[in-house]
Amino acid sequence: MNCQECRDYIDPYFDSELDTGDAIRVGQHLRDCLVCRERLQSREALKSLLGDPQLKFEIPETLREKLVSRFRPPAASLKERFERKYIARRIFVPLALAAGITLLFGLVFLNKNGRFELLNAPSLVDEVVAGHVRSMLATHLLDVPSTDQHTVKPWFDGKLKFAPPVRDLADHGFRLIGGRLDYLNGQEVAAVVYQKNKHIINLFLWPAQSNGNGSPRSFSRNGYNVIHWNRDGFDWWAVSDVSATDLAAFEGLQRQ
Amino acid sequence: MNDEHIRARFETLMLPLMNDAYNLARWLMRNSQDAEDMVQESYFRAFKFFGSFREGTNARAWLLRIVRNTCYTALAGDERKGREVPLEEELNEIQDASPLPPVILSRKATIEAVRAAIAELDTDFREAIVLRELEGLSYKEISEVTDVPIGTVMSRLSRGRDQLALLLSDRKKNDQL
Repeated sequence: MNCQECRDYIDPYFDSELDTGDAIRVGQHLRDCLVCRERLQSREALKSLLGDPQLKFEIPETLREKLVSRFRPPAASLKERFERKYIARRIFVPLALAAGITLLFGLVFLNKNGRFELLNAPSLVDEVVAGHVRSMLATHLLDVPSTDQHTVKPWFDGKLKFAPPVRDLADHGFRLIGGRLDYLNGQEVAAVVYQKNKHIINLFLWPAQSNGNGSPRSFSRNGYNVIHWNRDGFDWWAVSDVSATDLAAFEGLQRQ
Repeated sequence: MNDEHIRARFETLMLPLMNDAYNLARWLMRNSQDAEDMVQESYFRAFKFFGSFREGTNARAWLLRIVRNTCYTALAGDERKGREVPLEEELNEIQDASPLPPVILSRKATIEAVRAAIAELDTDFREAIVLRELEGLSYKEISEVTDVPIGTVMSRLSRGRDQLALLLSDRKKNDQL
């Protein structure tokens, strides 16, 4: 590869957009060519200036609220619709309730291991995705913004009845950016927040009801990827708009 | 899919992207009032066309493409009418909570200088830089949003970065950075 070719390839090389063959050829040329190496260094210097998240313009609060209220049905109207829908079935509700209770008793009685994963898993996936979306819509994604695991972990102490594991995976491209309390599955849970490039990953954690087999299960909802596993006495739920592959890698790193 | 489902899906997929939509519009329109109008209009258009949104489509690229087209349509109209587009002082955009410690002050000054340099870029380069560096889009996504081949994205980014490095080194010489 000559310098002209390298010049053409330096940006996609820098952005990890080259296929492996070309990336190797650029790498070889860079090893031998000071001029092109300097060009790469100037790209790195520029990147460090452009990496400041404050460069992005924040949407004004008034506009955010306007859009949310325009495109999200207000809670009251949802309630009304719900009531309208079910008022005609008033008689069936007590019947259904009775049947539900009977079924529940039956399950408790029959379920020797006390495991209800199969029952609640699908709706929980939706709840976890909703939790992620909510955190992206709210003005504060983080209660404790910090890239230091030794700041984030103690922060949860005293706020939760359990101590969630928090680790920094910046070396692997998943930067810890902080933590937050959230409410899922009928309890207070820890949300440990990571960033991969510009994408946010919420890792929700709470004490597991039972010890699962530990093998992760992946889900996909409306363009969000979710991965769930059970380990070290915790239920782990990672949700993000990163690719399923990236999220699986994230899960692998959390296991190490 | 009934109306309620569409609405719920729109909320899940499109509302979290408000900030990205605003950022792009703000960089293309170069002032906050027009940017706000464009974001609102883009969301109305996105909602109208949401029926054509297919599962598996990249939501961010899909919405940003609408934002971009909405902005360019408005800018072309302004040009015909000969309207002056008001340019704001970038300074007003960053919250001023003085007294600030010197370290934060210098960060603020850096942000202002970098923003001013990006604002000076030609439109094609500016949007490529904003989508790549501030929005973190891949080349493929940028190509979808801006409707040009990936090769063009590559050369715009490359030339945009050259221009930006030049602008910033000029500022450095003038002690603004």
